[in-house]
Amino acid sequence: MNCYLIFKDVKKKYLTKLLVQCILSKVMQMERFVEQALLYDFYGELLTENQKNVYEDVVLNDYSLSEVAEEKGISRQGVHDLIKRTNKALAEYEEKLHLVEKFLHIKEKVSQIQTTVEQAEQIEKQELIERIESISNEILEEL
Amino acid sequence: MAVKIRLRRMGQKKAPFYRIIVADSRSPRDGKFIEEIGTYDPTKDPSEFHVNEELAKKWLANGAQPTEVVGKIFKLAGIEK
Repeated sequence: MNCYLIFKDVKKKYLTKLLVQCILSKVMQMERFVEQALLYDFYGELLTENQKNVYEDVVLNDYSLSEVAEEKGISRQGVHDLIKRTNKALAEYEEKLHLVEKFLHIKEKVSQIQTTVEQAEQIEKQELIERIESISNEILEEL
Repeated sequence: MAVKIRLRRMGQKKAPFYRIIVADSRSPRDGKFIEEIGTYDPTKDPSEFHVNEELAKKWLANGAQPTEVVGKIFKLAGIEK
């Protein structure tokens, strides 16, 4: 979806399958970066002080592993391991609590309500109410 | 001293928003940076980025190193050395 929107200006015939995959993987990697930031926002407080510091520098402020290693006086490998362990811990929290997943779903539903409201003039009142009701029921189920 | 082009996280919790900044590789964590050359907003679908092309090219020509993620953004924005 993302991919298509970014490249909507490019003529379709130029988008070979391989290229699409290539673009997609790039977008996915960007998303990975965002996903890590979200996980950190939700579960960051559960990490140790040291994990927090290093993770913040690498994931939020985009410092390279070797820069962080130099500043902390530990090896690059050490930073790498720490990040890997932290990623694993955050993924485990998410697996058990699903807070990020719920957050994203609800955000999506709310934006659906907002678009519906924006189109309000073109829809009949009764239908508008029904649509919003059904979306808000979905949100309630999710909670 | 190496100059780097990197992202810096701004925005509230759960609403990530990044600035693309040019900074010395040793500049302190939340400290000064040399120049802001763009933004990256992943909360939009598709993610939105704005890059000041002129400044980006200038810094790249001066030997500033973009990080991996910034490199990707530049590529998507069609900026090369």
